[in-house]
Amino acid sequence: MSKDNPVIAEIRRETGSGTDLWSVIISPSIWALHFLVCYVSAAIYCQKLGRDAPLSDIRVLVIAVTVLALGGISWSSVRLWRVHDRSLTDDDFEYEHNTPEERHRFLSHVALMLCVLSAVAIIYVTIPMLYLDSCR
Amino acid sequence: MQQGQRCSFLVFRLAPLACVPLLVGCVSEQSTLHPAGEDAAAIADLFWVMAAGTVVIWLIVMGITVYAVLGRKRPKTERFADRFILIGGVAFPTITLAALLIFGLALLPDWVRSDRPDLRVHITAEQYWWRVAYEMPDGSLANTANELHLPAGQTAEFVLNSTDVIHSFWIPNLGGKMDVIPGRTNLWRLKPTEAGVYRGVCAEFCGPSHALMAFPVVVHEPDGFEAWLAGEAAGVEERRGHALFVSTGCGACHAVRGTSADGAVGPDLTHFASRRTMAAGTLPIAPENLQGWLVDPSHHKPDVRMPGYASLEETERDALVSYLLNLE
Ligand code: HEC
Ligand SMILES: [Cu+2]
Repeated sequence: MSKDNPVIAEIRRETGSGTDLWSVIISPSIWALHFLVCYVSAAIYCQKLGRDAPLSDIRVLVIAVTVLALGGISWSSVRLWRVHDRSLTDDDFEYEHNTPEERHRFLSHVALMLCVLSAVAIIYVTIPMLYLDSCR
Repeated sequence: MQQGQRCSFLVFRLAPLACVPLLVGCVSEQSTLHPAGEDAAAIADLFWVMAAGTVVIWLIVMGITVYAVLGRKRPKTERFADRFILIGGVAFPTITLAALLIFGLALLPDWVRSDRPDLRVHITAEQYWWRVAYEMPDGSLANTANELHLPAGQTAEFVLNSTDVIHSFWIPNLGGKMDVIPGRTNLWRLKPTEAGVYRGVCAEFCGPSHALMAFPVVVHEPDGFEAWLAGEAAGVEERRGHALFVSTGCGACHAVRGTSADGAVGPDLTHFASRRTMAAGTLPIAPENLQGWLVDPSHHKPDVRMPGYASLEETERDALVSYLLNLE
């Protein structure tokens, strides 16, 4: 009921006016950190232990970092989701007015899209680790 | 030029290009789609799965395009449009690419160095030819060049090195390729499954004669391979022409094992006449090709690292050619 009622939806929607750029860059930053941690740690590990070393230890690390990263992105997504309450592409999109409120919603929308992109990228970085057995 | 003329001009110009894939498909001695090895078979499967998937996706996209142009013009809701983009443009590619990634990763070879290969071959790539050395059971190396022999049904490990620039070692019928990098030893394994003659190539641009840096690959039945390797490892006697071969300086660069010619700059020529090609897959072995090669190697291979012998008497070159053709 409340979902379909535009008035209630409008009330429940978070309105704000911040141009919080942190919320925009947080998910790509998590992606970058995840990428670096995975690649750098695997590179050091394999350099120290040689080509035939099994990847099991580093796999645990990569999976742990992935869980953390996806957790961070989910937290950010939930916050952003509140801003426009409804679907990913809300019906009431209109960014034609140069108002703080619209800027806030627009940035939140962009940030949410970046969350999706970063989550997909993080999962893609992790998948190979589930299939590789040795440093070779 | 009129519209129609330009069009037919284009068609005539481009039609041969359209045939290229067909032609390539016909030459089976250098084609991953005619697999004769385990890895190549996996790559061919991957190719066919992707090709089929591509056709399906292409048909869907074209179907939607035709519908968008010719279909009934009824406005769709904005919500439908959003969903359409979300599913067709975001979810579908993400899932399809993940599936392909997983499929591709599952094809990765999973051997470790401690699994012993059946045979180990040292390959050294040089501008613009290949040193080939077989590790014998007693640990010694049998040196040869520009042609690779392998036993069917056995795993061969290649120890890949380069002396100058980056090359890449690729036998499409047997499997994927591996870069050959100066200062680094790369390991690569292939398991041929079917006897036959294939073509290996350098697959990384390495200089003006890069395209002339190939090698025939002969896959034998295992017994045939043992016999071949025993013959290849043996030297030859000093025959007529040997003195000339040494006195003209050939022996300073080329080895003929069993004789005093022991140069190591150019390809080993001990069993040269038994090979299928000369100058790394560039020419068939024939008297006139050898004559031409001795007069001016760089005419056949630009930037080649062998001097020409146009200054020799014709009779001397003939003598060298018949000496070479007797190196069986
Ligand atoms: C400065 C060293 C050098 C000298 C001297 C030299 N060659 Fe070569 N030769 C090479 C190199 C390097 C190649 C490989 C060229 C290539 O394919 O890129 C070669 C290739 C060849 C080949 C083709 C080998 C193959 O595996 O297909 C033949 C045959 C040959 N030389 C014969 C001769 C003869 C005969 C002489 C003496 C008249 C001679 N060479 C002198 C360096 C030399
Ligand atoms: Cu090359």
